[in-house]
Amino acid sequence: MTLLDGLNVTLAFPLAAELEVGEHFYWEIGNYWEIGNYTVHGQVFITSWVVIALLLVISFLGTRNLQRVPSGFQNFLEYALDFVRDIAKAQIGEKEYRPWVPFVGTLFLFIFVANWSGALIPWKLIEIPESELAAPTNDINTTVALALLTSLAYFYAGISKRGIGYFKKYIEPTPILLPINILEEFTKPLSLSFRLFGNILADELVVAVLVFLVPLFVPLPVMALGLFTSAIQALIFATLAGAYIGESLESEEE
Amino acid sequence: MTITLVEMTNWMILLAAEAVETTKEGGLFDFDATLPLVAVQFLILVALLNVLFYKPLTRVLDERAEYIRQNLNQAKEDSQKSEELAQKFEKQLNQARRESQEIIAQAQAEAQEQAAKNIAQAQQEVQAQREQASAEIQEQKQKALQSLESQVDTLSRQILEKLVGTELAQR
Repeated sequence: MTLLDGLNVTLAFPLAAELEVGEHFYWEIGNYWEIGNYTVHGQVFITSWVVIALLLVISFLGTRNLQRVPSGFQNFLEYALDFVRDIAKAQIGEKEYRPWVPFVGTLFLFIFVANWSGALIPWKLIEIPESELAAPTNDINTTVALALLTSLAYFYAGISKRGIGYFKKYIEPTPILLPINILEEFTKPLSLSFRLFGNILADELVVAVLVFLVPLFVPLPVMALGLFTSAIQALIFATLAGAYIGESLESEEE
Repeated sequence: MTITLVEMTNWMILLAAEAVETTKEGGLFDFDATLPLVAVQFLILVALLNVLFYKPLTRVLDERAEYIRQNLNQAKEDSQKSEELAQKFEKQLNQARRESQEIIAQAQAEAQEQAAKNIAQAQQEVQAQREQASAEIQEQKQKALQSLESQVDTLSRQILEKLVGTELAQR
């Protein structure tokens, strides 16, 4: 494993090209509440707290003094709200999108800020005992959590709209499609989570490897591309979540 | 640096392989309590952002939309009203103009009538005066003729007396 040893060497360059994939900064929880021995990935929580704090602080600053004629931060936040509202409206429909704006919108905002934080905040300058700080979305736990929440959300949407009749969709249009329809419930969160996870992790790996090979200028275009894909991934995740919820809310045309 | 692309790819594969190998402690697909906690954390974030971000801003946006719609309606109403008023004023103006024309015409007619009347009266007066004057002249003339006649009588008597003497004359 000489090659891998080489990879783990931290260069003297400030942009340390150290790759620590699959290592986690474990925190033991559970002992504290005496509910068994559980571990969590500390690096995910540290960075996600930063992301959440960023979102909350910006929201707080922007909505502290709301005016009829917006200015400064409020303008920016209204743009953001308009953007996520449009995502929800386009997928769920004019009539029922309003209660889903917070969920779909927060999906977009959280994933977007998380992805970009991974690319723009120099996490690696902060040393932690194990692993390294990176975008929270490059951990499979985060993306699966978000995908499962999306699944729960569209189940909740469908059942609250159509009651138990929601499950009739499994045998529509014909009962022959039952296995495929059931399979779909698994593939939806699976594809959602793995798409996001894979894209973000791959982007960070590519950048890290390129920085390791050519530490100057060459990684920049890839980094820019990474920013672009990160934004697109956030948009895709939120759009698909909206689409699934909208699909569940669709009333049967009979 | 003699690293080829193939070697790099090999690294990546090795890396991923090793990551998956060490599932006991870590690994790419290491699921643990992070998953539910991130989910809970995300739901809390949704709730907080709902209170802090979505609700107030949506309210402001809705209020603004309402305000704009109201203002627009008000403006439409106002412009309609002003148009109506303008039309009304136009009508009134026309009417006033017509009325004033009428008044002028009437006044002119009255004045003309008055003038004619005055002229007629003046002429009448003049006529009367003239008649009076001519009557007076006539009278004077009459008087003068009368006095002349009486004088003629006396004068002719005197002339007769002178010619034929007093006795004859008184006979």
